[in-house]
Amino acid sequence: MSSHVYLVLVLVFYAVGALHVLVQMLTRRHLLVTSWTVVATLVGCALHTAAIAQRWTEAGHFPAVGLHDGASLLAWTMVLVFLVIYTRARLEALGLAVYPVAFALVLVANLTPVAPVGDPVLKGVFLPIHTTLAFFGYAALFVAFAGGLLYLIQEHELRARTPRTFYYLIPSLERCDTLSARAVEVGFALLTLAIITGMLWSHAVHGVYWTSSPKEWSAVVAWALYVALILARHQTGWGGRRAALLGIAAFTAVAFTFVWMNVLAAAAGSRTP
Amino acid sequence: MIVVVGVSHRTAPLAVRESLAFAKDRLAEALVALRAETGAAEAMILSTCNRVEVYARQDDPGAVEAVERFLARYHGRDGRELQPVLYRLADADAIRHAFRVAASLESMVIGEPQILGQVKEAYQAAEEAGTLGSSLNALRNRTLAAAKRVRTETGIGRNAVSVSYVAVELARKIFGELKDKNVLLVGAGKMSELAAKHLVRSGGRATVLGGRTFEKAAELAAALGGKAAPFESLRDELARTDIVISGTGAPGIVIQVADVESARAARRRRHARPLFLIDIAVPRDVDPAVGRLGGVFLYDLDDLKAVTEANLRERLKEAAAAEALVDREVREFLDWQKAREVVPLLNELRRRAEEIRRTELDKVRRRLGALTPEQEEALEAATTAIVNKLLHPPTVHLKEAVRETAAPEQLSLIRKLLGL
Repeated sequence: MSSHVYLVLVLVFYAVGALHVLVQMLTRRHLLVTSWTVVATLVGCALHTAAIAQRWTEAGHFPAVGLHDGASLLAWTMVLVFLVIYTRARLEALGLAVYPVAFALVLVANLTPVAPVGDPVLKGVFLPIHTTLAFFGYAALFVAFAGGLLYLIQEHELRARTPRTFYYLIPSLERCDTLSARAVEVGFALLTLAIITGMLWSHAVHGVYWTSSPKEWSAVVAWALYVALILARHQTGWGGRRAALLGIAAFTAVAFTFVWMNVLAAAAGSRTP
Repeated sequence: MIVVVGVSHRTAPLAVRESLAFAKDRLAEALVALRAETGAAEAMILSTCNRVEVYARQDDPGAVEAVERFLARYHGRDGRELQPVLYRLADADAIRHAFRVAASLESMVIGEPQILGQVKEAYQAAEEAGTLGSSLNALRNRTLAAAKRVRTETGIGRNAVSVSYVAVELARKIFGELKDKNVLLVGAGKMSELAAKHLVRSGGRATVLGGRTFEKAAELAAALGGKAAPFESLRDELARTDIVISGTGAPGIVIQVADVESARAARRRRHARPLFLIDIAVPRDVDPAVGRLGGVFLYDLDDLKAVTEANLRERLKEAAAAEALVDREVREFLDWQKAREVVPLLNELRRRAEEIRRTELDKVRRRLGALTPEQEEALEAATTAIVNKLLHPPTVHLKEAVRETAAPEQLSLIRKLLGL
């Protein structure tokens, strides 16, 4: 089977998961993520792994460049990270953020053509190392972003004093905050490593560590915001609403980095690190 | 036939339910009297503040009236007076009712957890009194199992529906774990005491602020395993605490915006944790403007009641799922019961056939004289095969027919046809 066929199947399974979560949310049953959803996700994720492996052999390089491969790889890392968190902490509400986004990313991957790549720069070992670190970092930071959003929504519900759907579905403020804090720490560590390997890669290709591209700038801005967030949490006991807002702001910089690399730069034909 | 005769909060006012209630220590005696007076084969009495019900296995169709007469006589009431408030259920209706009661679908507050324990105790009492037989025992096992499934598989009992529990649930929605959270009680009323007790049981540490009488605060603090502090230390205590329950009888505002602001400023230096204020006083103790401060959650009595009502609506939604589950369980039980009815019939049929076979074999043996072991074996095998082949279709069809309809007339017709 070609990677395209796999990817269509992945889309179907993720759609089952996403729809089921949506239906559970609307009918407000006490389980948001049922065994149906978990099975669909596991099968989808296994097929997704096969799709990426297949795509790797087809492309001849690690499939992380261009919108098609980037979206697919990001969805894969997100689902994996979600499954890890789900098995460890049963944080079902996170599914409200992960399922629609993972589905949308795989949909985008299905709808966009594979970017033709002939750049010899992509053959090295830096591409898989750098992008794997970066993508898992993005996924973790997305979880932090989602945790912040859930926090803000739950806080709004509690302040409104009349419980509606989300009051029942979202866990306590404390849990949302802890989830965000942990995810930021993990995501930040991965992002740091990704930036370092990115610079080394740049040095190997261009002879300089810094090429001053918008992508590099946005990555550093995001990194700096996360430094500020982590310091604020540790030093002054920051948390809750302000941490959630800063986490959301920092994530927009991360999102820009991803979009620049996989959409804008790809369109401009520049695929160097 | 299983029958249920009783009254509940749906049919009778409290005064009537009270007058028909059975005291726990006299239940055994009542059960024995019930069986003797009504001729019931088995009996169980469920007596709670919301319902008084007699469950009985009666084989005589006129027995329902006998149970009614017993209820009236036992409590010295006029039977005619009870007529309009009593309900009488039989067979499938009675069984469905038993399942619904245990699953808390018939409760005044749907999903309340106590009824399951009460039903368990009622069966236990009947067992000890010796009035529980195989029919009611089977009903007990299946209803209790179904009730447990309803509790674990639906959210029917999930959200709190009493004001004091709602306060705890809200605290959990804010703080997650309540272990080592500081709870400050300002004024001691019945409801604030109850909420504080729940919080302490979840791991909270209580501080009681004294009012006019410090002794009362010290007493309550001791009961809650916490400490007491004078009212003047309100700001210091506010800076330390996570949850405030205020329920003084003061005519005006007790906790001002300035109090909470100063506490917030002191807290911010250490850790920006949220502050949850529960104001259950009427008139209110806490300035409503406090609720607009950042990181502060203020709920007054009306807010808590609104949450209670929303939770109740959630429960009603879950009740639909519980109804479906109970329906399935009832259907399974009825099928099982019907299948059980046909078992003696089938056994009798088998026994009768075997008897005929033996008699006929003996006749043949007498006529033919001594047979070789081979001939004996062949004769034995042939007759057994004839019996089995003849009985196979009716056995299968009886089991099937009974699963669909098992009217007593039909069963008696079958008996007649089979010559039993």
